[in-house]
Amino acid sequence: MLKGAQVRYLMKESFAGFHRRKLTTGVTILIMGSSLLVLAVLTLATLNLDHLLAKARSSIDMRVFLLESLDPGQVAELQPRLLVIPGVKEVKFISSETALHEFRTSLGQDAGVLDFLETNPLPASYHIQFTAGARNLDSVRQIRDEIAAWPEVAEIIFNQGWVDALEGWSARFRMANLITGLIVFIAVVFVISNTVKLTMAASSRLIQIQKLVGATNGFIRLPFLCEGMLQGVLAGGLAMGLVAVASSFMQNRLSGMIFFSVEQIAGFIMFCMVLGLLGSWSAMRKYLTLQSEL
Amino acid sequence: MKRIDPREQEPQDPRAVIGFYHVDLAYKDQTALQNISFTASNGEFLCLTGPSGAGKSSILRLIAMDAFPTKGQVIIRGMLASKMNRRKVPLLRREIGYVFQDFRLLDDRSVYDNVAFAQLVVGVKSADIKMNVMRVLTQVGLWNKRHRLPRQLSGGEQQRAAIARAMVNSPKILLADEPTGNLDPVNAQETIDLLFRINDSGTCVVFSTHDQQIVKAFGERVIVMNDGRIASDIKRKTMVDRTANLTDRMYQPGELINA
Repeated sequence: MLKGAQVRYLMKESFAGFHRRKLTTGVTILIMGSSLLVLAVLTLATLNLDHLLAKARSSIDMRVFLLESLDPGQVAELQPRLLVIPGVKEVKFISSETALHEFRTSLGQDAGVLDFLETNPLPASYHIQFTAGARNLDSVRQIRDEIAAWPEVAEIIFNQGWVDALEGWSARFRMANLITGLIVFIAVVFVISNTVKLTMAASSRLIQIQKLVGATNGFIRLPFLCEGMLQGVLAGGLAMGLVAVASSFMQNRLSGMIFFSVEQIAGFIMFCMVLGLLGSWSAMRKYLTLQSEL
Repeated sequence: MKRIDPREQEPQDPRAVIGFYHVDLAYKDQTALQNISFTASNGEFLCLTGPSGAGKSSILRLIAMDAFPTKGQVIIRGMLASKMNRRKVPLLRREIGYVFQDFRLLDDRSVYDNVAFAQLVVGVKSADIKMNVMRVLTQVGLWNKRHRLPRQLSGGEQQRAAIARAMVNSPKILLADEPTGNLDPVNAQETIDLLFRINDSGTCVVFSTHDQQIVKAFGERVIVMNDGRIASDIKRKTMVDRTANLTDRMYQPGELINA
């Protein structure tokens, strides 16, 4: 258990390492910050795509157009059949008259063109909305395939293309994020490891004397671990700060763009801290043995 | 079946603070020590001498458990090196003080901080650190220069600061590796006087030197090393006069007998 004086010493030593090697530490933080910036940007892009995807998913619906030859009784029979399909939340009948009225409304001033029509070309349809669990391409496709097999159905449409594209992009960004994350992980650990090795080489006399007077390896390691963690936190903070500035400019141009939540920022900084810790640890595994080189 | 080396069966001296029993030490392919056996008790002042590469530093490394024997047994303060849990080595080192030819002080810290550092590392309370540092710096005559950096001190003063650091944790064993090597005779005498004072308080001092004049003048018990072996282990018949000055002692003939 560390005593008060030891804790004060360890804190002082961790910051002293920064002070003694301002340039090395500054360059290290800049290099790490740039690597982490790439990761932060990709993560933010994935986050925004996920957000868009969630919105798109919530608006997934389906129009089931019916054959014109159906009589009202046959049309009415379809509603309960649709409602019992798993994943279907709500079914609304839209008659051909209502469809024409909606179409006329949507045309606004140009609605006059419809006056030339002798008959209503729009078929009656059912507008289907899905439960939250079924708002994904697989479920919707399954439901579509089931309904498409019914003889009363003329055509089915849903906003597949848009959702398809978003899901594709989201998957690609996730993969890019994973690969970048791995590369950044290795790069940052490597950079911190080398910086800590430099720090340890510069502190070799201090380490040697600590060993001679009976310091445990844990006691010797702690300031270096703290230094690595601090470097990780500062580099992560730098990357996050730059992303925040860039995203505040972007938000003026891209409406609906979201930024990291406080928890996500804290998580990112924690991740950077762990990277710093791992970097320091890997540097020390080879450097610190019992030998004091008497 | 594991064959037991008959040399490991020898009884050990229970009074010994340092015990070497038929010790071999090899670094990779190179043999550093061969069949070394000696013991040293509390309050003993032991001179280790011999030419460079004779194995003096290897013996000090074994005592500090900075190296471990390839054969035989090393027992330090009742702890057997071959069975020592490596995590406990720092605890043993807290009972050993070190003094080196090159002082090994931290250049960016004051004399006070250099000495206090040894206490801080082992977890002594702040208030006790102040008391202990004041005590040892007063003993070595450096209390007035406690705020100075090592480079602002003479060689002799730096060595006294290093001795204060070695003393502050009240070690049971003090290892001095060529402590007078960089010093003029006056400062060498001051250093040896301090080592004698530490020895008077019951600490076993192992003093390694290749300076034959110093060995002749101060050696109470002298182990002569040659080519990794003990060439002789001899004890002076009459005690040296620890109060005489260096020049007097240099010319004191001293009679040596086999230990």
